[in-house]
Amino acid sequence: MTSPARRRLTAAALAAGGLLLAGCASDAPQDTWQPEGPNAQKIHNLQWPVFAIAGVVGIAVFVTVAIVIIRFRDRGQPIPEQTHGNPALEIGLTILPAIILAGIAVPTVATVFALAETDDTECTINVTGQQWWWEYDYPVAEDGTICGGYTPSNGEAASPIITSGQLVIPTGTKVLLRGTSRDVIHSYWIPALNGKRDMVPGRVHYLRLEADQPGIYAGQCTEFCGLSHANMRMEAVALDEADFQAWLDNELEAYTPPEEGTLAAEGEAVYIQQCARCHQVNGLTDPASGELVVSAPDQYVWSGAAPNLTNLMTRNTFAGATWDLLTESCRDDVWNASPEEFGAKYLEGVTEECLNQVDLREWLRNAPAKKPMYAEPEQLTETDGKYRGMPYLALSEEQIDQLVAYLLERK
Amino acid sequence: MFTNGSKLLIGATVAAVVAAVMYGVTQDGALGTIGLVSAAIVLAFLAGVTIAIRDGNVPPGDEMALATCAAAQRAPGASIWPLAGALGAALVVVGLVVHEALVMVGVAVIIAAVAEWAVQSWSERATADEHVNDEIRERMASPLELPVLAAVGLGLLIFAFSRVMLTLTKSGTVVVFSVVAALVLAVAGIIASRKQLSSGTVAGVCSIAVVAVLASGLVAGVQGPREIEEHETTGDLAASGRCGVEETEADEKASQTVSAKSNVSATVILREDGTLVAVQPGISGESTSLTLPRSNPNNILFRNETPEERRLVVDAGPIADTEETRVLCTALVEEGGVQLLTVVFDKPSFAVEEPMQLTVPGVETAVMPVVVP
Repeated sequence: MTSPARRRLTAAALAAGGLLLAGCASDAPQDTWQPEGPNAQKIHNLQWPVFAIAGVVGIAVFVTVAIVIIRFRDRGQPIPEQTHGNPALEIGLTILPAIILAGIAVPTVATVFALAETDDTECTINVTGQQWWWEYDYPVAEDGTICGGYTPSNGEAASPIITSGQLVIPTGTKVLLRGTSRDVIHSYWIPALNGKRDMVPGRVHYLRLEADQPGIYAGQCTEFCGLSHANMRMEAVALDEADFQAWLDNELEAYTPPEEGTLAAEGEAVYIQQCARCHQVNGLTDPASGELVVSAPDQYVWSGAAPNLTNLMTRNTFAGATWDLLTESCRDDVWNASPEEFGAKYLEGVTEECLNQVDLREWLRNAPAKKPMYAEPEQLTETDGKYRGMPYLALSEEQIDQLVAYLLERK
Repeated sequence: MFTNGSKLLIGATVAAVVAAVMYGVTQDGALGTIGLVSAAIVLAFLAGVTIAIRDGNVPPGDEMALATCAAAQRAPGASIWPLAGALGAALVVVGLVVHEALVMVGVAVIIAAVAEWAVQSWSERATADEHVNDEIRERMASPLELPVLAAVGLGLLIFAFSRVMLTLTKSGTVVVFSVVAALVLAVAGIIASRKQLSSGTVAGVCSIAVVAVLASGLVAGVQGPREIEEHETTGDLAASGRCGVEETEADEKASQTVSAKSNVSATVILREDGTLVAVQPGISGESTSLTLPRSNPNNILFRNETPEERRLVVDAGPIADTEETRVLCTALVEEGGVQLLTVVFDKPSFAVEEPMQLTVPGVETAVMPVVVP
């Protein structure tokens, strides 16, 4: 073999080997081949045989073509006798693919219908997409419960829970997401729990989710939705019954203001001045006026919404679940926890020792520089001056210190 | 380098430029300056032409020049395209004053005229054989001409057709075009049944039909469209505050799309006992309250199951950036009827003083709270 040909072969072999080894990656939370719930398992049960059949057909075609190319290559021999048509072969090669496709269609259609089933829903959660984050609200059902039977442990009446970034669900529960979008088309996808579902403005779409084990399951928007589409991620957190109850109780707890004279109290003032225009913290009142602080994202943000920050430090991520609020080691501790230990570790939330101050401070310092967003004044002409994403707030380092201290208590 | 004729024109160009500057500096108004600058441009162009052709003079003793000079060449054939180009230019000028559509037509005519003239000029001198030149011209121009002419012709026919449709009454439209369709079928049947028919006959019949449609369209266009009754939409009702029990007329189908109806947040039903219940896709059973997202268009279907005509009213709370509140309503819905309402809640429930709710005027028991997280 000549030297250039050998080099090309070596390069091709290395590339193929690299691809093959990529499949062995352990830190691949969006692996579509690792179902963690019955819906994803249904898809898995379908894609394995389809992949196998397609693989066999593909290999058969490649091998056949290779044999023909090599064996019948031009070596100066006379042109062989030309024939036209082979009815048996033609009929066979028409019927065989038809049989294969029909065989694949039966389980495919059955799976599609099974995944569209909603009659057995046990927990309903509304999900709304916007550039570039997901909002979740847990409505109170007719019987006064949330998510299929949960009520506050303190005996008070339940009120809707609103959160973002991380969807928290109870394990072993048939959850139905009712999804829509506030601005452009997005697509919801957590591979370990189910397939993709587009979320179209003005329409309501349904997606079943169910997790077998406690844990965190990662996903991301899969419909190109603008500048930061790649930074529109989501995580589903599955907790067992007791832990979900604890999470729900915490979400419905009344607002606790920071102690007077602390850095966090100064942060509360900065928050009211700078952040509360768009972000809501439930129950926050202005110490100066005693009035409830109500955000008005509809006046400043094109989508009309901004993430609710009431319990920011319970959810481990921020900015559309793009960055972790936990340092790497603390994150690994939560993500790699056993199903038995996961709930306790997750519910601990973000502690001062585990807070990823680097990313959070960078975000507060200049959000558009960290995550591409339409936040410059000249980019707002088409949205009536309203932002798509978080603008640059020109916060001082002192204000950032104060805000971090305040946000750290939001759990 | 400069010929006598060109010197005269160059001098005139310079004079026009100087005059333009002088006029622009000393006089108010730009019209005179524009005229003089235009004159300078034209004179400069003519000067360039005279230089290029050396005033059209050829020294008598120069046989080569005599053979190749412009005057010795065969004169180009008559062409209609300069005239068409001039028409296009006139349309542009008139369009600048009258309507921008004429400008677009003028520009299209100029482009077509320039293209056709260029192809014609080139093809006439492509070879020494006139027949070959004609063939070359056809081969070049036909692939462009035929589709464009077909598109323009079809556009004119469709436009004329639409004018006729808009002018006739609704019932008249049905009658006229039933007759026309039958006529087309009959003529086509006759043509198909004939064993031999000259292409001229077919072309003649088609031409008569085309002229008839264009003439009808012209007459109908002059006549103007029939009076088309405008229906109020449900949005108009809400905007004018007519969301009570009074009789109002609104087009039930106005502003309502099939896609919106096919995928609603909830169907709100007014039961015979005067209660409101909601059926939400994906949620089993009926509910007496609704949880809907803020800042998002929510499609709600209202179904009236009572014998009286009723409408659904939505108190959607404050409108963003204003002090006003948003109240929307359907038109009166007959028994068994269904109407769509699209509503946006700008503020969450906890931030508003007045409750956000669905009500039915005239039915006190029909109240459904809306929770906006």
